[in-house]
Amino acid sequence: MNDAVGAMEVRKLHKSYRLGRTTLKVLRGVSFQVAPREFVAVVGASGSGKSTLLHLLGLLDRPERGTIRLDGMDTAALSPARRNHMRCREIGFVFQFYHLLPELTVLENALLPAKVDSSLPGWFARRRERRRQAVEILEQIGLSERLRHRPKELSGGERQRVAIARALMNRPRFLLADEPTGNLDSRTGKHILDLLRQVSRQVHQTVVMVTHDAEIARAADRVLHLRDGRLAKQPPRKA
Amino acid sequence: MYKLYLCLQYLGKRVLAYFAMLGVALCVFVMMVCISILTGFVNKVEVAAKGLFGDIVVSSASLSGLGYYDEFIREIKRDVPAVQDASPFILSYGILRIPQTDYRCLVQVAGIRLPERAAVSDFEDGLFVQAGESKPTFAPPLSRVLARLREHMEACGEIALRQCAAVEGEGLSAPQHAAVSRLLKAIPIEMFPDLMRDAQPTDRFAGALRKLLAVAGGRRDDYLPALRELLAAAARQPDASGALFRQLVEAAAEAGDLPPERRALVERVCSSLRHQETALNVLAGAEEVEQKLGELRREMKAADDAGNDEEVLRLDARIQALSGRALFGPDRRAILGLGIPGFSFRTGDGEVVRTIGPGQQIVLSMIPFGRRLSPTDITPTTARFTVIDDCDTDVSSVDSEIVYVPFETLQQLNNMSAEYAAPIRPADANAADPNVLVAPARCSQIHVKVRPGLATNEKLPELAGQINEAWQRFEARHRGAATTEVKARTWRQMQSRIVSTIENQRTLMWLILSVISVVALVLIFVIMYVIVVQKTRDIGVLKAVGASSGGVAGIFLAYGAAIGVIGSLIGTVGGYFFVRNINPIHDWVGRAFGFVVWNRETFMFARIPNEVSFATTATIIVGAIASGIVGSLLPAVLAARKQPVEALRYE
Repeated sequence: MNDAVGAMEVRKLHKSYRLGRTTLKVLRGVSFQVAPREFVAVVGASGSGKSTLLHLLGLLDRPERGTIRLDGMDTAALSPARRNHMRCREIGFVFQFYHLLPELTVLENALLPAKVDSSLPGWFARRRERRRQAVEILEQIGLSERLRHRPKELSGGERQRVAIARALMNRPRFLLADEPTGNLDSRTGKHILDLLRQVSRQVHQTVVMVTHDAEIARAADRVLHLRDGRLAKQPPRKA
Repeated sequence: MYKLYLCLQYLGKRVLAYFAMLGVALCVFVMMVCISILTGFVNKVEVAAKGLFGDIVVSSASLSGLGYYDEFIREIKRDVPAVQDASPFILSYGILRIPQTDYRCLVQVAGIRLPERAAVSDFEDGLFVQAGESKPTFAPPLSRVLARLREHMEACGEIALRQCAAVEGEGLSAPQHAAVSRLLKAIPIEMFPDLMRDAQPTDRFAGALRKLLAVAGGRRDDYLPALRELLAAAARQPDASGALFRQLVEAAAEAGDLPPERRALVERVCSSLRHQETALNVLAGAEEVEQKLGELRREMKAADDAGNDEEVLRLDARIQALSGRALFGPDRRAILGLGIPGFSFRTGDGEVVRTIGPGQQIVLSMIPFGRRLSPTDITPTTARFTVIDDCDTDVSSVDSEIVYVPFETLQQLNNMSAEYAAPIRPADANAADPNVLVAPARCSQIHVKVRPGLATNEKLPELAGQINEAWQRFEARHRGAATTEVKARTWRQMQSRIVSTIENQRTLMWLILSVISVVALVLIFVIMYVIVVQKTRDIGVLKAVGASSGGVAGIFLAYGAAIGVIGSLIGTVGGYFFVRNINPIHDWVGRAFGFVVWNRETFMFARIPNEVSFATTATIIVGAIASGIVGSLLPAVLAARKQPVEALRYE
């Protein structure tokens, strides 16, 4: 079991959406494995189903067929409460459009998963510690000057860094990034990518990043190509 | 934890939330105001009815009334432990006149026993001369009546002077000068020997008069305060005549260039002051006459004791002569309801100015419906009374119609006193009382006061039943006590027409306001729905970081509840202050826009009830919070059911 911690196994995943009268088959039997602490990029054209794959991995959606095993556990068998708990504790998300809560400051956005994780008394008991953790993470990714700012006062790169901080808050084992650089210029995108690699390595995370940009994907340990809902033949691993 | 946290964050930063709170606040406000006023109205009717007639009224169906009342009162006080006190009462109709005028007014004449009446009602609370007196009578000390009348004249003078003082102006004009000179001439300076001799004036009045003389040629700004001071001093001057008050006020009015509406009020006050002046002179004279009569009576008694018949006859003649100038005796005194048309008026500020009041004479003519006489036999009875006091019960329908006179006097005037006949059988002639009682003295009602704590809506009907049974037993032993059915009813049953009308109105109001609350609920629903739609992506993010559906719903439910709480808090505070100050606000609206909602004729009371009921307020607040929660229930469920993937894609 211990070997499975941080491992991801996907088998014959199928997912389709209804669009009016037609059914759009997005994923048609995707299977792959990700080793613990591996950084995998999934590359595909837009509409190839990569975001759908990521949502399924992140337990935001359920597949029609096929299994997803996280830490060796079949996620289909989990209760809704357990899935919520997994999303909170074990999975961190980074979105293309950052998805920060506009009412909250940088620090408050980063603390959101910690707050969702705690009861009211629990929060008051541990709030200093949690706050310190959040500040540490934000300092680490270079936002120590921006703690009290609101998202609209930040640049795109800064916003994405806040999103990364939020994804790291509960120290999840899996980090799922959906086009994390898609909305940024190439220089900033590269910074973000480096940051993502660096911090995920530090906390021994398993990372799955989807992108349409093969250049970006090169930062990963391994690249999977998604085409028409299936994985293309895998190119050899990088040295 | 995040539920509460996000709810608070959203609350502070959504303008829409403020609109929802405003809607709730308005609903709570309107409800509080309407329900409080109607509830206050019912309570006022209760207080007024109990205050006027006691808790339970025993009355006869016929105008001929019920007899042996004193015996019956003794019996119920003995046999029904809940009865604290009871007093007989006669209600009749009459025509009220003022001698030497054309004034005529249809009134109800109430025969009451004083001070006994104070034990069954709150009659004494509204009295003018005998205010706060626990045992009011028809013969209060004349000095007290005089003092109260002087105070009232001073207050009336003050009302008029205030009108004059409020007019801006520089120096006195020629006609104003003339008015002041006339005033100074009119002041009976001979009354103040100190002033005449130019000695040190010791009393306050003389001081005030000097000050007035000193400023008479100067600015009106100095003149009016001097006049006011003089007026106050005159009120305390034991021998200042009534004329003085009027002249002071008239001088002030002439001295100022008053705009027409102010002048009209001042003239009205002056006219009332003229009447009060007459009354004051009568009372002041009567006091002297009373003193003199007392002396003469003492002398006559001494002469009588000494056996000096000649002296007795001489003194008796003098007493007879003097008596003509005295007030009517206590059996010919009346207490007016404060509100009889033409006898008093209220200024815009709610102050009362009496035209006919203590010291004046009235004539009452009535048709003696008491007993036996057929319409062709009836001759109206007429009697003169001296007004000795007036009574403000705050129920305008009562105050504008009732004149109170001594019970036994009205009994006679109304042909309700006991009737005796010469003995028919010889056996009766040998009895202790040779006369035979043909008909007992009667009253129209008996007012009963029950012991404290028993005057509740639940217990009173039961007590009324006990009194009814007591009457059945009593009537069996006292034949002819009443010719028609006698019934004891609670104050609520007596006032059922008014009480049930208001209570129906209140129910209707609850109904209408409940519909308004549904509108508030829909408002909250729409606003919450819009907020949920706006927050769709945030909901997706929250679910992505592990928030449960229940948690997301909780945020919006708490949000709705908070809107209810804050809205009702604002509405309650606003409603409370509005209701508490409703009379000044109403007056202000009346003055500013000429728009009077509360007509004292229609609503019976001079003032709008301004009590806030705790229970009503609590119900309204709970309702408001509940509608906040119910209104946000559906949007919260919608929010909870949103699929995170779709929510995240939402643009």
